Amino acid sequence: MANKYRFIGKATPRMDASEIVTGKARFLNDIKQADMLYGKVLRSPHPHALITKIDKSKAEAFPGVKAVLTWEDVPDWKGGTPRYTRILDRKVRYVGDAVALVAAITLEIAKEALRLIDVEYEILPPVFDVEEALKPDAPQLYDEFPGNVVTPGVPFFGPKNLKEVVMGDMEKGFEEADVITEGTFGYENIPNPLPPEPPGAIALWEEPNKLTLWVSNQASYMDKITLFHVMGRKVEVRSIGGPCGGSFGSKFMSWQVQTYAALLSKATGKPVKLVFTKEEHLAAFTVRPSSRMRARVGMKKDGTVTAVSGTWLIDTGYYSMTTQSQVAVGCGEVQIMVRCPNWDLRPVIVCTNRNASGIVRGFGGQELKCILIPLLSLAMEKLDIDPFEFLKKNYVKPGEGYVWRDGIWYTYRGVDYSPAMDKGAEAFGWKEKWKGWLTPTAINGTKQRGVGVGVHGNADIGEDASEAYVRLHPDGTAMLFSCVTEHGTGQRSNYAKMVAEVLQLPMENVSITPSDSLINPYEFGPAGSRGTYAIGSAVIRAAEDARKKLFELMAPMLQAKPGDLDTSDGMVFVKDNPEKKIPWRSMSIDRTITGIGRFEPDYTLTNCMMSFIEVEVDTETGKVDLVNVVNATDAGKIIDPQGLEGQLNGCLGSAGIDSAIFEETILDRSSGHTLNANMIDYKWRTFSELPVITNVVLETPFPSHRFHAVGIGEVATSPGPSAVLMAVSNAIGIWLHEYPVTPEKVLKALGKVSLRGRKGGTP
Amino acid sequence: MRSFTHINAHTIEEAHSLLGKYKGKAVLNAGGTDLLGVLKDEILPDYPEVVINIKTIAGLDSITENDGGLTIGSLAKLADIANSRLIKDRYPVLVEAAHSVATPQIRNAATIGGNLCQDVRCWYYRYPRHIGGPIQCLRKGSGPCLAVRGDNRYHAIMEGKRCFAVCPSDTAVALAALDACIHVASPEGERRIAITEFFSPLGNTLKPGEIVKEIEVPAFAGPTSQKYLKFTLRKPVDFAIVSVASVVTVENGICTDARIALGALAPGPVRSQAAEELLKGKQINETVAVEAGQIAMAGAKPLSMNGYKIEIAKTLIKRTLLGGG
Amino acid sequence: MRKKQWQGGKNMAAKNKKSGAKKVLAKGRINLTVNGQLYELGIGKEPDQVDPGHTLAHTLRETLGLTGTKISCDNGACGACTVLIDGKAMLSCMTLTVECDEKKVTTIEGLGDPKTGIVDPLQQTFIDHTAFQCGFCTPGMIMSAKALLNDNPSPTEEEVKEGLSGNFCRCISHYHVVKAVLAASEKVR
Repeated sequence: MANKYRFIGKATPRMDASEIVTGKARFLNDIKQADMLYGKVLRSPHPHALITKIDKSKAEAFPGVKAVLTWEDVPDWKGGTPRYTRILDRKVRYVGDAVALVAAITLEIAKEALRLIDVEYEILPPVFDVEEALKPDAPQLYDEFPGNVVTPGVPFFGPKNLKEVVMGDMEKGFEEADVITEGTFGYENIPNPLPPEPPGAIALWEEPNKLTLWVSNQASYMDKITLFHVMGRKVEVRSIGGPCGGSFGSKFMSWQVQTYAALLSKATGKPVKLVFTKEEHLAAFTVRPSSRMRARVGMKKDGTVTAVSGTWLIDTGYYSMTTQSQVAVGCGEVQIMVRCPNWDLRPVIVCTNRNASGIVRGFGGQELKCILIPLLSLAMEKLDIDPFEFLKKNYVKPGEGYVWRDGIWYTYRGVDYSPAMDKGAEAFGWKEKWKGWLTPTAINGTKQRGVGVGVHGNADIGEDASEAYVRLHPDGTAMLFSCVTEHGTGQRSNYAKMVAEVLQLPMENVSITPSDSLINPYEFGPAGSRGTYAIGSAVIRAAEDARKKLFELMAPMLQAKPGDLDTSDGMVFVKDNPEKKIPWRSMSIDRTITGIGRFEPDYTLTNCMMSFIEVEVDTETGKVDLVNVVNATDAGKIIDPQGLEGQLNGCLGSAGIDSAIFEETILDRSSGHTLNANMIDYKWRTFSELPVITNVVLETPFPSHRFHAVGIGEVATSPGPSAVLMAVSNAIGIWLHEYPVTPEKVLKALGKVSLRGRKGGTP
Repeated sequence: MRSFTHINAHTIEEAHSLLGKYKGKAVLNAGGTDLLGVLKDEILPDYPEVVINIKTIAGLDSITENDGGLTIGSLAKLADIANSRLIKDRYPVLVEAAHSVATPQIRNAATIGGNLCQDVRCWYYRYPRHIGGPIQCLRKGSGPCLAVRGDNRYHAIMEGKRCFAVCPSDTAVALAALDACIHVASPEGERRIAITEFFSPLGNTLKPGEIVKEIEVPAFAGPTSQKYLKFTLRKPVDFAIVSVASVVTVENGICTDARIALGALAPGPVRSQAAEELLKGKQINETVAVEAGQIAMAGAKPLSMNGYKIEIAKTLIKRTLLGGG
Repeated sequence: MRKKQWQGGKNMAAKNKKSGAKKVLAKGRINLTVNGQLYELGIGKEPDQVDPGHTLAHTLRETLGLTGTKISCDNGACGACTVLIDGKAMLSCMTLTVECDEKKVTTIEGLGDPKTGIVDPLQQTFIDHTAFQCGFCTPGMIMSAKALLNDNPSPTEEEVKEGLSGNFCRCISHYHVVKAVLAASEKVR
């Protein structure tokens, strides 16, 4: 099918390409302001303790130190959901928790000041395990959370905010099943999305209550809103975003680093920059939630799931900001994946004495699928059901529906993803490679190959609201007002592309405002996969509105009706008589035309990613090699082919596939230290071991917007981990259910690890 | 990082004199790829007042022939060793080991002396100050070893005593298989230390004031078959979880000499005499290679979480002998 | 080549180099050439000076204002801070500036022609192949690739991967980067 668009679907260089390859792109830590001070955080050596004494006098007296703040100095600002987590507290709740803040004229002086703060602690017993934390005699992290159960707080998604999946008739459901399986499954390795740029902020406080923040976030408008609430709704916040060195969801949770910088600026009257080190990034910033589930499923011979019941325990670390939301979305997504009429799935969110979990690409759905798909696989194995056929059959079809995060039922009105799944299976060679459950695809000496398949989909492609303005200028250029930052998806350039397409302007003639909340309308941000449809819709509507206003203005000048007109390259012409044309300048040089667009949330569309994985296991060393990955989806219409491919290749990042192979945040569960808070011991994929990735993308027009496209950015990473477990289990013929499948676990499963030599040790 | 006085030493004598003058408050800097990390994370009880740069000492980076053997200056870069035709012809196991270290950028700066003298990677020992550390332990002067009861998946399965951190050096393993020795210079003169005697559980056996000058690798009587295999979770970047260097002499199909050195299993590289004895006089086939692996691991005493290293070590021993990857 | 005189530090004799003789201890100044421009930096605590504890990454970014070189892990493990020192790819965060006396450093800002604005062929292929996503790792990536191509103008795909094996990217631009580097090597030939 020929591409009928001038720009949409074509590979065009990104607007910021030149800046990036020349090093001119200014990320947060590249910004330097006159009089700027540098902030540092003193962090707790104990996982659970009360500060009994804190003496900052030596630090304050050190030359070059401009402010030292402790829990005794700071206002009662709180974050978290519910809002109980103080910005600095008398109690510390994890190794690395903030104890004091320092601002000084150089970073080294600030570090020296940290050494001069004397703190005395009363050590409290910690708790690190989610089930231990629920026991009646467990150490309590908050008075407000009896039993360490994190309550819902003010529902983000409305009064019926989805907290669980409960529907139908469980007894009947299990009766109808041909097979029932149950067990306990975990996804407890809390991987870190680990963007290269560490979190940070620059803050300028102006009395009496004005705060300007320079932020690094994919959704910089939301920082203004988040901090407004953290600061008791008394502070006027302006957030200025810029190029963001990767986020993968995590930098939505930057309220603490931003508030630290703000408090230090308030105390000194100067701009303060506070940037985390990579160690702080790994030990004291967002990691994935940890999940453990005890559940039962009933399944029929034809792959119908008749009942799912269970308790889903989510360990959120020492507080929750968005875990309730992740649970809500996870509960919605699981219904998209599995068409089951009878559910009794009860999540419980628990806090423990470790670094907090929060937003990571996959947003609760990945966490739930990683523990549910292995349970479903047990049933599939008993019934000898091909997992590809199972997932294809069970995936939501047009006309079917789900209860989404707001507790409301939505009927899916998008396309059927089966053709995309079939194409993916074909590209992968699934029919040839699938030999049955727990059966290797191939054996070559000591190396055994296995395959697995996973799926993920999210009805977030139309979530939340977005607004945009498009302003037309007499010189034939246009400016898009949208508070979107560039964080790797290329979307900032793609919105300019959409405007250029609607207005038929050369792309160089479309520019975008800086991501400053002061001058841009509301923008939830390119989160999840909402960029293409939700933000795209607002942008397109703004451009269309501007175009409409342009034609209304120009029509009399061309003795025509607005409906007779079209525009291209800064000229307005009569469609039936293109020679009759006038330039945009005819609007008059003392005028601009502004179109407004808004997108209202729409939860009736979901995306889909199916990932096929082939691994090779060395049965003598336990090493798992990722050999082949095929990602299959339908994007409706590809807006940006290179950007899309980048997103799909991204399945190897963001704590996705590799969270099943080698990624984990290793916590010592007696001392509470994060042992691998560095980039040698935290494992990430290198150039040397890249699998072959094939991306299959169909384009079946969606009923979304003008370009019939849907977003797929978030979902690329989530099908992978459960598919890897499946593949490795099949390769060695033994079920492996623990993430990640390190050599040790493989060798243990194969019976090749001798009994313990020495006593002791709690892994 | 925190400041210090920086002094360029231009001769070994000058370096000695500075070390003596600053008595324990000065450290030497070669490639810097280990030292700077130790300083940035402030893991040690005392921060040095002085950093003595020894890269400014001329003549310590050469690779020269020596009676059929080789003398490698301690400041020779790992990249130069990995690319050395001379070393590749005679001691390919050393080239493989040097090439397996870290990343290209690190190898451009790191020296072989530094690779041998680098500090251990135990994650309790290395826990950074600024995220709630440092963690005190016996290696730092006093305190229990947290690894014994904690997460010891990467720690020693043999010869650990009071400290169970493994020697992270790849070149040490290859050099052990090559029977190399280290020439050490001190104000009192020079001495030689066999590679296998250079390491001990709480640190290397250098006395205060001593500087590694060069590494002497002896000649072989005849042709050998050499292999270095390094097991890691990823390539490259990672330190070894287990590594094995083997140097085997085969005449008329029979093994007449074998050196098997094991890495990342102990505080220093371990020569497995039992395996070496087993191999002598035999034809190296699958059965013999498997036996060598088993006998090499017979004395292993794993901790609670590192027993899996035994199986991997057996596999690597077998594969270095049989030529598998 | 413009010379920049930076005041401060100990007042030392002019840089008279006698061949083979002992250099004066604590010269108080280092000569650093960055992208063809010579900087004479005093050693000391003033904002325009170099403290012995400063890494080259810090000096480039904070003292000389060349923020193209990015710092990600600041501990030698990720390659984001890669620059060329005397032609070799090195980690500027693990290099002490005081040890860079008389060295020639090339940073990302040193590629391409500042007068015409035309970028290096390698930078151009990165643009053409969208060999980046968030762009934070890109300067380090390009410098490693530059070192590779300087040394080996016709690398195989495996050699490209090995040359870049010390560079971390989390967005997974790897596949596009490999294409871009191979395309650049063809262009130059």
